[in-house]
Amino acid sequence: MAKSSLSASQRSKIRRLATPKEQSPEDEGGELNIIPFLDIIVNILIFVLATVAITFTATIETTPPSSGGKGPRIISESKSLNLTVLITNDGISFKAAGGSVAPGCEGIGPGITIPAIGADPDGQPVLDYDAVTRCAKRLKDQSPDFKDETQIRITASNNISYRKLIGTIDAVRGSEPNKTDLFPDVLFAVPR
Amino acid sequence: MTPPAAAQPSVGGSVAQYKAELRKAKRRNERDHEIDFLNITAMLDMMTIILVFLLKNMASSSASIPQSKDLTLPAAFLQTEPHEEGVAVIVTKSQILVGDNPQPVVQHWSRESVAQSGLDAIYKKSGINDLHIVPLAESLLHVREIDNRIRNERKSGSGTSEAIVIVDETTPYRLLIEVLYTLGASSFGKYHLMVLSTKKSADG
Repeated sequence: MAKSSLSASQRSKIRRLATPKEQSPEDEGGELNIIPFLDIIVNILIFVLATVAITFTATIETTPPSSGGKGPRIISESKSLNLTVLITNDGISFKAAGGSVAPGCEGIGPGITIPAIGADPDGQPVLDYDAVTRCAKRLKDQSPDFKDETQIRITASNNISYRKLIGTIDAVRGSEPNKTDLFPDVLFAVPR
Repeated sequence: MTPPAAAQPSVGGSVAQYKAELRKAKRRNERDHEIDFLNITAMLDMMTIILVFLLKNMASSSASIPQSKDLTLPAAFLQTEPHEEGVAVIVTKSQILVGDNPQPVVQHWSRESVAQSGLDAIYKKSGINDLHIVPLAESLLHVREIDNRIRNERKSGSGTSEAIVIVDETTPYRLLIEVLYTLGASSFGKYHLMVLSTKKSADG
């Protein structure tokens, strides 16, 4: 046999030369080990995604406030409603071109159109926004002339909070959430 | 050249036999080509880019408005995209800030007195009943000049500027009107009142 014809030193030499070489630590040094860095990056990424509170915001467009009936209100050729909303501690009053809207949104007359249904611990009135929406819709539906009217003037007592103001703007904007079929264009008026 | 002495068959097989055996042994011992090192550099590049993009995007978006005890936005039904162009005027529970300037133009007021007659007379031009806040107007004047220069560079006309008004939900109407009035007097003709977009009905 050919194999048996090799000497012991030849076999030893063959074994030594045929054994695959292990990489020495110096050979590995040429490659930068970025795995720990990658771990850090992944951890930061997960942390950022998990901790950032995503808040969705929107903006309500408006123009400078007016006082004494002056302002950028669009003058309509046709008969217009010219609706003004006044927020007080007692509730919400509607005032149209024909006069103040009576309590309960029925006809013309003095008084608070939508009375407050209580008071918050901080002294702010609890307002009935559903009734405000119903009243705004009722006033708008009274005449086909009011159909294209989208502007409303809003004013409030000095102490009324911004939250109540935004709630009222929401209530008069549309008959349903995300609808703008009533009065989406808001003008602020200076309280007298 | 003669091979090294160690490789010489001393007693046993011939050189041909020795080389054939060596080749066989090498073939036998040859390991399959294993992937013992995964190249993750490309993935690392991607991750870093995503991280930088997220951080940059969040820093510049409206979601970065710091909500704290001093500034809580009111919620509204609106689902529209927020307007992002304009000078930010921030009214918190205790201070008024303009743009990126961390120095407040007005600070430390009592809510009770502001809810009655607005800011103190020291901030007004002609008494407490005046709506014009002088320090705010001065700050806005500087911002308006910068805005005008930008508009001229863009050739978008030098009309009125726009303001993004970020107001705390407890701010009294009087203070809001004073801020809006001062903005109007400083040639800011359009405001964007920032609110939190919600699908839930607001309670009274």
